[in-house]
Amino acid sequence: MSPLEIGALLGIVTVLLLATGIPIAFGLGLVAIGFLVAFEGFDSLSILGETFFSGLAEFSLVSIPMFIVMGAAVAASPAGRDLYEALDRWLNRVPGGLIMSNLGACSIFAALSGSSPATCAAIGKMGIPEMRKRGVPDQLATGAIAAGGTLGILIPPSVTMIVYGIATETSIGRLFIAGILPGLMLTGLFMAWSIFYAWRSGHGLENAKRRYSLREKLELAPKVVPFLLIIVGILYVLYGGVATPSEAAGVGAMFCLLLVIVIYRMWRPRQIWAVFSTSTRESVMIMMIIAASELLSYTLSSLFVTQSIAEWIAALGLNPWALMGVINLFLLVAGFFLPPVAVILMTAPIILPIITQAGFDPYWFAVVLTINMEIGLITPPVGLNLYVINSIVPDVKLPTVLLGALPFMLLMVLGIVILCIFPGIATWLPELLMGPAL
Amino acid sequence: MDLFVRLVQGLSRLTGVLAALLLAAACIIVCQMVVMRYILNASTIWQTEFVTYAVVAATLIGSPYVLLTRGHVNVDLLPHYLGPRGRFLLAFLAALLGLTFCAALGWAGWNYFIEAWRENWTTDTVWAIPLWIPLLPLPLGIGLLTLQYLVEILCLLSGREPPFGIAPEEQAPEKQTPEKQI
Repeated sequence: MSPLEIGALLGIVTVLLLATGIPIAFGLGLVAIGFLVAFEGFDSLSILGETFFSGLAEFSLVSIPMFIVMGAAVAASPAGRDLYEALDRWLNRVPGGLIMSNLGACSIFAALSGSSPATCAAIGKMGIPEMRKRGVPDQLATGAIAAGGTLGILIPPSVTMIVYGIATETSIGRLFIAGILPGLMLTGLFMAWSIFYAWRSGHGLENAKRRYSLREKLELAPKVVPFLLIIVGILYVLYGGVATPSEAAGVGAMFCLLLVIVIYRMWRPRQIWAVFSTSTRESVMIMMIIAASELLSYTLSSLFVTQSIAEWIAALGLNPWALMGVINLFLLVAGFFLPPVAVILMTAPIILPIITQAGFDPYWFAVVLTINMEIGLITPPVGLNLYVINSIVPDVKLPTVLLGALPFMLLMVLGIVILCIFPGIATWLPELLMGPAL
Repeated sequence: MDLFVRLVQGLSRLTGVLAALLLAAACIIVCQMVVMRYILNASTIWQTEFVTYAVVAATLIGSPYVLLTRGHVNVDLLPHYLGPRGRFLLAFLAALLGLTFCAALGWAGWNYFIEAWRENWTTDTVWAIPLWIPLLPLPLGIGLLTLQYLVEILCLLSGREPPFGIAPEEQAPEKQTPEKQI
């Protein structure tokens, strides 16, 4: 069998195996072992333990559990409610202000928590009932929060970006900076669409009757500003190259824990335990997938699959943009079924050489890839955000939420198109702050 | 058999506590390292390695707990469209395949551990501790993971747990937990 045929077979087997419902980590590991044994014999298993262990024993990976702890601490506290309240008090007299404060709160909370279902839950619990009360159509209210939640994997700090950075050996600080402007652009697109939709349907743009005094506007600031400072601090430290992502994440996690303990009095052992047990589940899950995909990429490269696919694509002499289109479509479909982290780990080692060979910037590509993954978070069958929203407002039917999310998916596709035309949106800020990429 | 199931499940819960403690320790030591390095301008010797291995240990030791609580994310599309019988068979197949991987990894991990022990390997850094110490969680954690997988299969066969944890009459995939997608 030629390496290309092996690659195709491996792809098919992986899909079939994952369809059985086996945990992704074990499925990937099993494919890796199975192909290694089938093509190189049982002796090749002697490196199994070492490959798996060394795939995990990397200092840069420490940033993943640390950012997860940080997000879990914030998500377990009522910080989302206060963030939403604070924005609403400033914006409630502005036409469309309600929608802006919802989407704004989503993007900030998403950055802090790094988890898109957690964002939907935290902001949606407050925001959706309020929007419906003030006459925003159900479709828009639910769709906007579902889409707003997905921003968490693009706006830094983002675990998805860290995983990309580790899988492709690119700078995590630079990836974070590259995500800022596209994240703001998407937030802006979401806001513009929501306000247009509300205006066209003639609802939800009325100003609230209630006028907040300056005192009321400022009273939530002490609860909200410290969290914002943590994000800014992390970005500053990373772009300045002052500390490594793992160090920044560890200190950020500690600060967030202390903040929720002080501000929200979450000092009871039971509450702290809840933060750590959620983080443990989440980080073990991700780290096991990382280690298993280390096995898989070892298998792929020792059977020469990775190299052959790259050569084959190069020999086809495709137009780079046609290639980019095909890759995007592939990622989009993969994102419908698999969580972002798994898609990135499985595809990055194969796709990145192709991308860079075709002359694309790996940091720009990270942003495009992440937006693709965001779309997968609000599409069936596994669009988790849709289910979270459905559980917050059970009287809004799932098809309504889905219909509401649809325009936002198209906006994300539009975002990808804009990024293709103006790649500078992703590459300008990192170049300005950190100099040209090597 | 009940005793065996409960014993293993108890152990798996314990691994969750251990893993959480390891993560907390990693968080504290990272902060200690940052203070030493950037505020006191002192050099750090063991912290980087300690933190790295603590996270590795948390991952490996915590994996049985995560299996017990169904936290290892999977693609549960097909199970939702199958009837009870098909779902049961699929769950059995998936569990057998998962068990195969865990057993193979546990075995390979044990060999690697024993080799490091016999040959007195040390980590290749300034700290240079014996390599078997950070390696211990590999056979230990994956060994327990294999045991927990056996228990999952037992629970499935004896009807203690519905296949994929989906209750027979249930339609919506409410068992999905928020941490599934990051």
